[in-house]
Amino acid sequence: MSRRNPVITGSGIICAAGCGVAAVWESVRANRSGLGPLTLFSSPRYANHLVGQVRDNVDALAGNARGSRSDKLCWIAAREALAAAGLESGPGKINPARAGVMIGATVGGMLGTEQFLAALLREKKHRFGPLRFHECAGAADLCARKIGALGPVATLSTACSAGAMAILAAAELIEQGEADLMLAGAGDSLSRLTLNGFGSLLLLDPNGCRPFDARRAGLSLGEGAAMLVIEAGETALARGANILARLAGWGASCDAFHATAPQAEGRGALAAMQHALEHGRLQPGDIDFVSAHGTATPDNDAMETRALKQLFGGRLPPVASVKRFFGHTLAASGAIKAVLAVQSLREQAVPGTPGFEVADAGLGLEPVKEFREQPVSRILSNSFGFGGNNVALVFERADSDRTCSVNFSRSKGFAILGIGAVSAAGGSLAEIAAAFRNGGPAASAFPVPAISPTAQAKVYACGEFGADQFIAPARRRKLSRLQQMALVAARKSFSPGPAAIAPEKICVAIGTGLGSLNDTAAFVENMILKDERAPRPSLFTSSVHNSLASQIAIELNCSGLNSTPIQHEISFETSLWQAATELASGRAEFALAGAADELNQYQLAAGMRWGWWRESSPEIRPFAGALKNRERPRPGEGGAVVTLGPAEKTVPPLAFVSAIRIGRSEQQNAGSEARWIAQTLERDSISVANVDLLLTGANGLTEPDNFYRAVAEGLSRLAGRGIACGAYKHACGEHHSASAFGFLTAVGLARGEIAPEHCTMDKTTLPGGCRTVALFTFSPAGTKGMCCVRA
Amino acid sequence: MDSLIEELKTKIIAGFNLEGVTPADINPDEPIFGTGLELDSIDALELVAILEQDYRIVILERSVADKAFASLRALAEFVAANRS
Repeated sequence: MSRRNPVITGSGIICAAGCGVAAVWESVRANRSGLGPLTLFSSPRYANHLVGQVRDNVDALAGNARGSRSDKLCWIAAREALAAAGLESGPGKINPARAGVMIGATVGGMLGTEQFLAALLREKKHRFGPLRFHECAGAADLCARKIGALGPVATLSTACSAGAMAILAAAELIEQGEADLMLAGAGDSLSRLTLNGFGSLLLLDPNGCRPFDARRAGLSLGEGAAMLVIEAGETALARGANILARLAGWGASCDAFHATAPQAEGRGALAAMQHALEHGRLQPGDIDFVSAHGTATPDNDAMETRALKQLFGGRLPPVASVKRFFGHTLAASGAIKAVLAVQSLREQAVPGTPGFEVADAGLGLEPVKEFREQPVSRILSNSFGFGGNNVALVFERADSDRTCSVNFSRSKGFAILGIGAVSAAGGSLAEIAAAFRNGGPAASAFPVPAISPTAQAKVYACGEFGADQFIAPARRRKLSRLQQMALVAARKSFSPGPAAIAPEKICVAIGTGLGSLNDTAAFVENMILKDERAPRPSLFTSSVHNSLASQIAIELNCSGLNSTPIQHEISFETSLWQAATELASGRAEFALAGAADELNQYQLAAGMRWGWWRESSPEIRPFAGALKNRERPRPGEGGAVVTLGPAEKTVPPLAFVSAIRIGRSEQQNAGSEARWIAQTLERDSISVANVDLLLTGANGLTEPDNFYRAVAEGLSRLAGRGIACGAYKHACGEHHSASAFGFLTAVGLARGEIAPEHCTMDKTTLPGGCRTVALFTFSPAGTKGMCCVRA
Repeated sequence: MDSLIEELKTKIIAGFNLEGVTPADINPDEPIFGTGLELDSIDALELVAILEQDYRIVILERSVADKAFASLRALAEFVAANRS
């Protein structure tokens, strides 16, 4: 075992098949399905459908943990995993700065948001409370807070492969040396949105899923969570941890084919499995068992079978789908399968495929029917999500003495080949520079009928952003406004130059704080007002967060890793980290990284009700101390995408980016943040003394402005010279993807296209030049991110 | 039947925002999806929602939809037989 090989030292699970690894394994041993009637909420349309509902009292089990049902499910599984790893009371001997959390999520607090909308639309009642727990990032925040993790903390939302994607990302962080311990997994609760959404796609089998069966007619929706404690081999051994299994390989790909349907030949699925084997230096013959995605939709099982047959040829190992034990738990699915894979390796037994009875001659694949004991050294576990977001993981027995070489080497930086934006300030550097010169873009009024028929909020909206110019009409009518914003930014950014690039060498990571809010709201409104009649499939597909990244992959033909990070104000930095990881490993040659968020009346209504925003919220004046601390700066929206790649002589790069890092802090301490920034710069061989400007999320509120100013002062002390403090939100407004706009501002500053005095605290002109800009973002939730842009 | 076909054409053009397409452009005997109209499987599912909204026909299985959407004429026959 190599020092940085990731090992699994704890696992936890809660799903319809039971609470706790022991209980779920007992169900698996007995081949007993946990599907049953839906009682969590009433659903006129799907009342007779079998679902995988968690029957335990989730609120009681979660103790004092606050959050959505999804968040609580995650914490219940996390607590069990930590206890199994001997870490009940937090990271223990592990340095908290070396511990992180990576969560997969797609539903988040939607169940509560539906209650808010139902009360508003049916009874005209303002019950904004549940919206506090709407965001998918809630579970990562909760788990990080509980264990005091100060390393990388983030959420990834790649639909039904999100749990596996989170495990993949955690393994990357460990291999890179960014963390020694990661709590990684996923959780999703049942919701009306997902039930009606999958129903609108005609993907549900009311009688329960029948994976690989000739009569299979769709999936069963479920809920649950599963978590792993993943550690670096060397530190796990040093603390005397009990190693349960090893994570031997992982791979990701994108079909770049369709919003919901898999590519029929399984091209993307095959690529993900091949990448996982390559990463682990494994041959197909090394795999003893395949834990299939096996949702029991006619398309998935046919596609997956084809991909498996291509990979294994005539020597297909035993295959099973565990979906009927607990239903399709969406993001949690890959994490639940990971926990079961670990258990299989420990018990030397494999699960069966409940629901399967009649072999499908067309498939020519007969899965394992019932639980059986068999020697297992390595398990391949597949997870495929909407948008063709595929992830394959390989788990290996703990006692394997095989060494996997770690192929990661820290890169000195990446060339910025293109940038594109959609914002109130415009889409090009020239337009953005002009907006800065003019003291900020023009504000507009956004109607908020949820408050009153005449209520409006003053916002920085994108207006017309050139969608008709960049997107063909036939494509455009299928995309949500936010998807169009992200696609326009991506098209402006992506200029690969004369050389043809292999699609599998292009990675796409487009984050979002809140996703396509307007289409999601429209789907739920329609569902509530029409008692679930005629659910609208196109509104559901655009409510899937990673449709932001996957539709760009389809349009620009990019079949490398495809991801949508969701982490409040550092969604962009998390995207940048994922893109940089793919580039540094050599798996990708080009990467598109970005983030986008849109305004929505319910979000504005909640903010107005909570006293964050007034109808006439003043313009943003960073460092002016004009806003009271209960208030929030004027809301905005927008997206920005950056294309990274090799510095080719034919395409002179706009600038370079390095020192890309995400992390978390328990409290705002300017001194320790300055040290964190300096350390991050120095490990990428950038002297703090070379930094000209610290560009921050300062927004006119006294507290964050003072904090950012103090960080710049701390950094100046470390540098032994004055480092200016700057801001950008006065040109884009306050939103979760604002730091993506900040990145473009940094590029403009480093290139001399944006004048420093429009961004800096004291309107200093930086007579010494502004060639090195450190971008630092600190979310009120405690997560933070940074990078460094150099001319 | 012909008036129902014309009615469905109008609904398809309006429902899918088919800019620049007129009812005359749609051949009632050609498959509705996967042809010149650039309509795909999500549009087919949107049409399922339209049938439920406007004709109270509830389709829960894909095989039923596939058969009904073989052509506009087939769809008109399906709607005439199942509307309530």
